[in-house]
Amino acid sequence: MESTVVEPECAIGSEERLRLLPYKLLARYFAAPPDRELLDLSARLEGDGTPFGRALAALAAAAAEATPEGVEEEYQSLFIGLGRGEILPYASYYLTGFLQERPLAELRIELERLGVARAEDTAEPEDHVAALCEVMAGLISGAFGDGRLTTQKRFFETHMAPWMGRLFADLEKARSARLYRHVARVGRCFLEIEETAFAMIDGHEAAVSVGD
Amino acid sequence: MRKDTNQAKPGRRDFLKLAGIGAVAAGVAGVTGQKAEAAPDTEAKSSGYRLTHHVRKVYELARF
Repeated sequence: MESTVVEPECAIGSEERLRLLPYKLLARYFAAPPDRELLDLSARLEGDGTPFGRALAALAAAAAEATPEGVEEEYQSLFIGLGRGEILPYASYYLTGFLQERPLAELRIELERLGVARAEDTAEPEDHVAALCEVMAGLISGAFGDGRLTTQKRFFETHMAPWMGRLFADLEKARSARLYRHVARVGRCFLEIEETAFAMIDGHEAAVSVGD
Repeated sequence: MRKDTNQAKPGRRDFLKLAGIGAVAAGVAGVTGQKAEAAPDTEAKSSGYRLTHHVRKVYELARF
């Protein structure tokens, strides 16, 4: 049993563990418009000189200027809209052009395997970007899954990497995006880090994808 | 047993460090610290868009 649990990687403070922070940050921004608390905390982000660090610093500066009311309006235009928002942040839409298609069905099979279910009070399909980020955070923290990096890698490479970069690119240049331009940039830079870092894992198991 | 598949190559941790993952810790620890850990995105926001608690742990109820 203990052989299925990754210990060193999950040690608090390690780089592996720290990866869950950006996922949670992204999940919060995409799940709902940011409240004052999230804006204040975002304003305190400090970046270093890396592309990711600079994206964080830009988000911090933008968050310092933002108000919850203003960003709520932005969020509505971007993701809710009248009828539909400017951006449809779903895997199925990005991969097939339609909502609730095969990628969602494949994701649901995977989530069931991982022991993750949608909360009862949401009707939102599971392939929403916020849900996927929450799942990754859970896989990293050990709340979901078996704690293996290869499980994370498979989930990321099957359900996130094939489309999320395009979502962030679209959001960065979306007409209504202000603060969310910076959220998108953080997302894009982080996704690139994750892609490269997962490629460094010996992932034989990860070759088994849901879709074949 | 399948330890190999479970361990990052040495380069991975260094890469993550160099890529600035550590930088996020200072500020974001607050964003996603204990409070958020226990109850991420607590209550539904007024927008009516509820992804909060989108996922929950069910495996205790299942085979484990």
